[in-house]
Amino acid sequence: MKLIISNISGIPIYEQIKRQVKSAIMSGDLQKDETLPSLRTLAKELKISVLTVTKAYTELEQEGFVKNIQGRGCFVLGQGSELLREQLICKIENNLSEAISAARVANLSEEELHHLLSILMEEKTDE
Amino acid sequence: MNDYLEVRNLSKSFEGFQLHDITFTLPKGYIMGLIGPNGSGKTTTIKLILNMLKRTSGEVKILGFDNIAKEQEAKRNLGVVFDSNYFSDEWKVSQVEKSVSAFYENWNTQKFSEILERFHIQPSKKVKELSKGMQMKLMLACAFSYDAKLLILDEPTSGLDPVSRDELLHILSEYIEDGEHSVLFSTHITGDLERAADYITYISYGELFFSGGKDEFIDSFRIVKGGREELSADLSKKMLGIRNFSTGFEALVKTEDLKQFAHLNVEPAAIDDIVVFTSKRGERYE
Amino acid sequence: MSNIWKSVKLDFSLVKPYVKTICFTMILPVVFAVINRSLLTGISFAMCFIAMTTGYTFSVTEKNSMERLYGILPIRKSDMVIGRYIFIIIMGFTALIFSLITHPVVLIILGESISMFDYISAAATGIFLFALYTVFQLPGYYKLGSIKGRVFMYIPVAGFLITLLLITRIPVGESKLLFAVIHSPVLLMLLAVILVIAMYVVSISVSIKILKNKEI
Repeated sequence: MKLIISNISGIPIYEQIKRQVKSAIMSGDLQKDETLPSLRTLAKELKISVLTVTKAYTELEQEGFVKNIQGRGCFVLGQGSELLREQLICKIENNLSEAISAARVANLSEEELHHLLSILMEEKTDE
Repeated sequence: MNDYLEVRNLSKSFEGFQLHDITFTLPKGYIMGLIGPNGSGKTTTIKLILNMLKRTSGEVKILGFDNIAKEQEAKRNLGVVFDSNYFSDEWKVSQVEKSVSAFYENWNTQKFSEILERFHIQPSKKVKELSKGMQMKLMLACAFSYDAKLLILDEPTSGLDPVSRDELLHILSEYIEDGEHSVLFSTHITGDLERAADYITYISYGELFFSGGKDEFIDSFRIVKGGREELSADLSKKMLGIRNFSTGFEALVKTEDLKQFAHLNVEPAAIDDIVVFTSKRGERYE
Repeated sequence: MSNIWKSVKLDFSLVKPYVKTICFTMILPVVFAVINRSLLTGISFAMCFIAMTTGYTFSVTEKNSMERLYGILPIRKSDMVIGRYIFIIIMGFTALIFSLITHPVVLIILGESISMFDYISAAATGIFLFALYTVFQLPGYYKLGSIKGRVFMYIPVAGFLITLLLITRIPVGESKLLFAVIHSPVLLMLLAVILVIAMYVVSISVSIKILKNKEI
């Protein structure tokens, strides 16, 4: 998994970790039952505070992405988890509404939009 | 024991300076930065912890031991690094080990030579021939050789180049990685702490300003910026520190007051900003 | 006890680079003994010289701000002080033994004769003078440090001059007690030892008190 911390983004470091872990889980980079890097090792390697990483991991756990087992590490709960699915659906909705807005601006009819979606779907299945 | 360092209501009066009612706790496994401008009482606090100065009142526990009643036990697992080395400059590095190791029961000679090698310190060199960064590493090497559980560093980065400073931070984060070691680190170069520190204790003019999580510390302040006409008397009152210039102003505010400043340009604050702005307000102390 | 011994060893490592200088210092009193043709003055001079070097441990500590090292070592302040006294007594003792061997040899070569009594009284005087100098010096160094306390380095010089005066002027015949003591090597030695021990006990406790209250 790739984790990069930016000092100038203005986004708190724990938030940056959370976002990157989440996107790694969604993209399948992190599979179910895989462990996240150990808290203290990650803190050392990124040269950040242990408490910052702790905060990121705790919030990830609260949001249902990972499960922290004392002494064994932080396990990814996998894409099957209900919450993750909900979040993914939410993301789809957001992206679709953005697509719809864009379609309106571009004067695209509903049919044309459906058609576009089917073409994209086909391309994805071909891969 | 979970708290490696406990400081309670620590006070000390000198002529012309008072350290007043300092309280903070450093749990095991973490790095705490002790910050404040020069002359704010950081070194006094550390010397009181080490019983090099006599406290007027209060209590200090190092690794669970009272620092005066159980001084020997307290210092057995304590490592200290000062801004300059405390060995005889005529000593060779190997002599440093000979002189100091006897005092620590669990001194590990093999570990010492491994660390020297890692730090690129030649045992045949005299202390005075080592650079400032090397001398600091030599003090660290000693502390690591008897597996000091608590490391106290007083301005270790002053006079060090950026490379050595970065190395030090790396060494320290490695040191606490296993969760069994803690570091108290005093500095006025707060950039060193911006990332690596877990806790911050900020002393200003002999008084405790804040002690707690670093993220919480940074997050409880914001920098607001605006043009001069946007600055009302009401708003100024809520500002902890302000810098005026011909085309506008910059000020430090509490995050909880942020609503009143919503119309201004808001940025996150760095530790440095917080120290600089809050110290300026303290001018009335002078 | 073991902490005291460690402290002695630490003190030795402080002075180690200067051992040559200190040894060289011990050559001069031999010359003095030769000029005066007297073992007693030679030994007195030697003990005065060695007592002037007791400030080395303090100077080295001060020069390198090593009070901070002493401040972080897991050792009681009283052990540090006792260790330093023992180290300095060892220094004095070494110098005494060295002088008690070299001076008579040189004097005998020059044709002087040295009686057992001369020998023992010189040794007793040497021990007593060294103790007298150091019991004042050390608390002074602890209190003021070796730079401000430089004046304490000269105690032996003053003491030496006074001794020289006294040696020639003591009205031995007038006091029976003094006469008895001076003419009985056993009594002389015993008196010296008791006095020396008493002086050191007081001096050490004063030094410990000073160090305990000292702020670095």
